[in-house]
Amino acid sequence: MNASSNPKQRALVAGLILIGLLIVGIFGWRTARAFREFRGQRPPPPLAAEPMETDVTMIRDWMTIPFISKMYHVPARILFKALDIPEHKNKEKSLKQLNEEYYPEVEGFVLEKVKATILANQPPQMPTVPNTTAGP
Amino acid sequence: MSDFLLTQIINYGAPILGAIVFIGAMGAPFPGTLIVIAVGAFCRQGFLPWYTTGLVALACVVAGDSLSYAMGYYARERILRRFGSSERWARAGSSFDRWGGMSVLLTRFLITGLAVPVNLIAGTSAFPFRKFFLYDLFGETIWVFGYGGLGYLFGTQWEAIGSLLNSVSGLTLGLVILGIGIWLGLRRLRSIGNRKEQIPGI
Repeated sequence: MNASSNPKQRALVAGLILIGLLIVGIFGWRTARAFREFRGQRPPPPLAAEPMETDVTMIRDWMTIPFISKMYHVPARILFKALDIPEHKNKEKSLKQLNEEYYPEVEGFVLEKVKATILANQPPQMPTVPNTTAGP
Repeated sequence: MSDFLLTQIINYGAPILGAIVFIGAMGAPFPGTLIVIAVGAFCRQGFLPWYTTGLVALACVVAGDSLSYAMGYYARERILRRFGSSERWARAGSSFDRWGGMSVLLTRFLITGLAVPVNLIAGTSAFPFRKFFLYDLFGETIWVFGYGGLGYLFGTQWEAIGSLLNSVSGLTLGLVILGIGIWLGLRRLRSIGNRKEQIPGI
């Protein structure tokens, strides 16, 4: 085969290099950005139980009320009551779906209301007491 | 798409996760790695049991990979009729025999974007199924328990690690494509050089 005069092969090489450069450029930029965001993160102690979440900025609109209730230790009925939404048939709906169904005129209302209700109703965190009972 | 899938996972647990990774293994464009990391975090938070969820996900993703291998295998006849007599096809088949295991392994957890094409090529080139299955099982175990383990480790901060790993996987895919392009280009230049040397007077 005449490699020097094969235009298909030349186009393939050029195409692969161009596509490769494009993907490297896009994902290189995304990796750098994700790395900058990730640098400040530290995992919680690996063997400790997940502590009660207090940061309401972690609430996303794909979450359901029972999921948020368990995560933030606030009863689901309090959240449903605050939203003025019946609990029945709504347990499996995301915050986004609830917003679209009950408050279509105010975007993000359910998310903000849930955040505020959690801040107002979350039980206080118990301070960690060092274990002094171990040993004889 | 990933938001909808995450809502379904927190509602229905392991069975829906199994269905997602199974369909994803056959080519549906689901954000599988991100979902596995999220599920690891849900296990840490006590929403799902990690062992059964992990085993269901592993069984389903391996079943999906095997099915896409089978699709390649049964499409083989048609492809062989079209390309089977060419020298290039034979060369591609023999090079997949040599590198196939490693390709299957690395595309399970590192360059996940190429997993489905590799499954199809493995089936089409009649790469031994037992070998495919073993490499696939090993690679998917790393994917499910390694990435799920990272989600478990980071708990509620899983979004940060998920975004980083997704970007690294895309970057690796780009580097592989670029590497293949450069390698083919260099090979082409070398063959042109050799031809010039063989022609007297040049």
